[in-house]
Amino acid sequence: MVKLPEFDTGRVPQQVPRLVAVFALVVVALVVARTALIPDTFGERGHYRAAAVDSIVAHEKKYAGQQECALCHNAIMQARLAGNHSGLGCESCHGPAASHTANPVEFKPRIPQEREFCLRCHQYNPSRPTGFPQIDPISHNAPRACFTCHDPHAPVPPVAPGSCAACHGQISYQKGVSHHAALECTTCHEAPEEHKLSPRLVRPSKPTDRSFCGACHAEGADSPREIPRISLRTHNPQYVCWQCHYPHYPEAS
Amino acid sequence: MQGFIYPNEFELHWGILIVLYPYLTGLVAGAFILASLERVFNVKEVQPTYRLALLTALAFLLVAPIPLLAHLGHPLRSYEIFLTPNRQSAMAMFGFVYAWYLMVVLLLEIWFDYRKDLVLWARQATGVRRWMYYALTLGATDLSKRSLRFDDRMGRWITIIGIPSAFLLHGYVGFIFGSVKANPWWSSVLMPVVFLFSAIVSGIALVLIIYVFSSLLRWKPIDMQCADKLAAFLFYAMVVDFSLEMLDFIHRLYESEESIEILSRMIESRLFVSLIVLQVVLGTLLPLVTLGLTAPALSKKSVLVLPDELKRLAYLGSAILVQIGIFSIRYNVVIGGQLFSKSLRGLTVYKAELLGIEGVLMASALLILPLIILWMLVKILPPWPDAEASLPTEEGGDTGVQRPAPAR
Ligand code: HEC
Ligand code: HEC
Ligand code: HEC
Ligand code: HEC
Ligand code: HEC
Ligand code: HEC
Ligand code: HEC
Ligand code: HEC
Repeated sequence: MVKLPEFDTGRVPQQVPRLVAVFALVVVALVVARTALIPDTFGERGHYRAAAVDSIVAHEKKYAGQQECALCHNAIMQARLAGNHSGLGCESCHGPAASHTANPVEFKPRIPQEREFCLRCHQYNPSRPTGFPQIDPISHNAPRACFTCHDPHAPVPPVAPGSCAACHGQISYQKGVSHHAALECTTCHEAPEEHKLSPRLVRPSKPTDRSFCGACHAEGADSPREIPRISLRTHNPQYVCWQCHYPHYPEAS
Repeated sequence: MQGFIYPNEFELHWGILIVLYPYLTGLVAGAFILASLERVFNVKEVQPTYRLALLTALAFLLVAPIPLLAHLGHPLRSYEIFLTPNRQSAMAMFGFVYAWYLMVVLLLEIWFDYRKDLVLWARQATGVRRWMYYALTLGATDLSKRSLRFDDRMGRWITIIGIPSAFLLHGYVGFIFGSVKANPWWSSVLMPVVFLFSAIVSGIALVLIIYVFSSLLRWKPIDMQCADKLAAFLFYAMVVDFSLEMLDFIHRLYESEESIEILSRMIESRLFVSLIVLQVVLGTLLPLVTLGLTAPALSKKSVLVLPDELKRLAYLGSAILVQIGIFSIRYNVVIGGQLFSKSLRGLTVYKAELLGIEGVLMASALLILPLIILWMLVKILPPWPDAEASLPTEEGGDTGVQRPAPAR
């Protein structure tokens, strides 16, 4: 067997010089590692590798920035800056478009036409800041795409739609195929213009009594002859008419 | 997602790997504190696990920083955080705490404890092993009485330094979370203390599990006195840990800061399984009751007198449940702290990926790695009492010097 070397260190316990040597070695190794491994540019500008900035700059660019878009789409840019979406960058809706600015014909940015897209910001959510324009997607003109009514680049505070049908589609569709097709909504409802802007706050009137219908349908009423007549006195006098006849689609049997 | 969250809160930045990090360091600190119990407070019963606990602590300590480094996402330069620590950053302190604990405490203690055996093994072994053991002695082959006494004295001193160091190591991890004052789920002065005690719980449970399994694998009988004592310690540590957690909980409830509503919503929905079911019921209450009934913790005799086989099973089952519970604690702290919006108005979800550098697979690998390292350590430095070489009489002259006896 090979003889293992033995050392004598006199009065100091043998362990001490050896441990000291090992620790010294570790410290030296650490110092060497620090000089050898710490990147050259570390600490030049702060507690980081300055060259990291260059390697980040070298990354492929995905976003062009909206100033770029303005070069070719200036009209849209100006419209946007003047409108309610002035705070939204083009690419927050159209996605990264650096490749498009480099080659507009080859690469097309995405166009977010689906309702879900706008709802990300505009769907009603109690925790959004008060005053932020929000809608309930179920009742707000489903299923039409939002851009058909709102210009996505400059969504002006809602323009009142011309017709009641914009919002009361179901009723106007029914009325359109009913005996009352020829009647305007406003014949029976007094609808102030504000109703179209704040429908829940300002409500149109509704007929309240039998004599309202009687104005056309009562015997001897001053109305076109072809309108069918009933006697207000005998024709189910204990009820209002719309308990039996749906006014937007009246039927006689 | 639910309610309102800020855009940068949608994705969680700290995933399962960061859950692993406090879990692993906790096991290290816990296993070490268990070993120290034997040494400093002279608990004879747990002596069979003394070296095993030290090696366990070492194996897990070696792996502890890996999840952090992996989380950084740049395997080729993540080690630089150790070379250029930013002294302004609490997180960079990890390098110092880690180095201190690894170099000054654990390695030294293990070395002093094993030196005599290393020398003897070097003398008995042949070939490569001979030189390996010789290299491990660092050439300090003196086995005189004086030299062995020096080993013992140093070992005890290091243990004494080691206990506050272990407290520091895991207290530090708790501090990292507890000091984030912008996060109501984390920000709490109790955090380091709670972390510490849960670390002790997890360390004892881990050593218990490893002890039982290693005995089974080696076809050796389990020292029931030792197992009983470990179970009793586990029980005490859990009582303290659970009370501290309850204290923290009650404190939060009473303070009832503006965040309380979103936090309770989070507990009811997102963390229900991991907090109520896994952490509290399965991970704490069930093992507490089991141990309280089966272990001789409350008096010399346990409440239920069971045959040893059944008792072992109860201990093992409780220890495994405790591991699950402690892992859930880490999960609930790390993930929970990121699930609610800082607007206090919404909750997001955590979706763990399977593959990928921060995935579940990676995490499992990092959980198994310390066991592999432990296996190798055990091969090189057998911690079993029967593997200890005894001094040939003519060498040291004093047969009375066995393994350094526990300090008195
Ligand atoms: C170099 C000029 C140029 C720049 C810069 C530019 N575009 Fe265009 N863009 C065009 C042209 C030309 C078209 C029409 C292409 C066609 O219809 O074939 C177009 C079309 C589009 C379309 C419609 C695509 C379609 O499918 O119809 C969108 C959306 C668009 N651009 C967005 C952007 C955005 C956002 C930016 C800024 C990041 C931008 N563009 C910058 C020239 C430009
Ligand atoms: C709120 C989201 C939003 C923003 C911000 C936005 N867009 Fe659009 N953009 C749309 C939508 C939606 C359409 C589709 C409109 C349609 O089909 O009528 C569209 C269509 C276009 C088109 C093609 C149709 C057209 O009107 O010529 C161009 C070009 C375009 N956008 C450029 C821009 C530029 C440039 C900007 C920045 C100044 C911008 N967009 C900002 C949502 C947006
Ligand atoms: C990234 C978030 C975002 C997206 C996506 C978005 N908007 Fe907007 N929208 C805003 C902001 C911000 C305002 C300005 C709110 C204010 O003035 O307080 C606004 C204002 C509006 C307004 C004006 C409401 C009012 O009463 O002043 C309308 C209408 C509108 N958006 C429609 C749309 C439509 C249609 C889309 C989809 C093409 C869309 N928005 C997509 C953020 C968004
Ligand atoms: C049929 C046309 C139409 C469609 C389609 C439509 N809107 Fe509107 N929108 C209106 C009208 C009219 C108003 C004003 C009346 C109102 O407030 O309901 C309005 C108002 C709004 C407002 C302002 C609400 C407020 O309180 O200031 C927002 C925001 C808005 N719409 C977003 C959308 C979004 C997003 C979509 C797609 C999901 C959409 N709209 C689809 C017609 C439409
Ligand atoms: C911008 C969309 C919009 C337009 C345009 C609109 N309405 Fe409405 N209207 C509403 C909504 C929304 C309600 C439902 C309010 C509620 O139930 O809270 C409503 C309710 C009504 C009611 C019932 C009020 C009640 O107290 O039950 C009548 C009647 C009515 N509208 C008539 C009209 C008439 C007539 C017009 C055309 C002049 C018209 N509306 C145009 C949105 C609109
Ligand atoms: C013949 C008269 C008449 C005409 C024309 C008429 N309505 Fe009505 N409408 C009524 C009456 C009566 C009620 C009250 C029904 C009730 O209270 O149950 C009513 C109720 C409503 C309501 C309340 C919701 C409902 O369905 O009960 C809305 C909205 C409404 N009308 C919209 C319209 C619109 C939009 C038009 C035009 C397309 C229109 N109406 C045309 C008579 C009329
Ligand atoms: C402005 C005049 C006018 C008013 C007011 C009016 N109607 Fe009519 N009504 C008509 C006309 C016109 C017809 C269709 C006659 C025809 O079919 O040639 C009609 C038809 C009817 C019919 C017959 C349907 C059938 O099957 O023949 C009923 C029922 C009816 N209206 C109910 C009502 C009720 C209920 C009201 C009150 C809410 C009402 N009308 C208010 C003009 C009016
Ligand atoms: C209790 C239910 C009920 C009420 C209330 C009621 N009607 Fe009728 N109405 C009927 C029925 C059923 C018929 C068809 C059988 C008939 O001719 O009596 C009818 C028929 C009619 C006709 C068609 C007559 C024809 O000759 O074709 C008119 C017009 C009419 N009603 C108008 C009204 C008016 C206006 C009112 C309110 C003043 C009213 N009804 C109230 C049940 C009702």
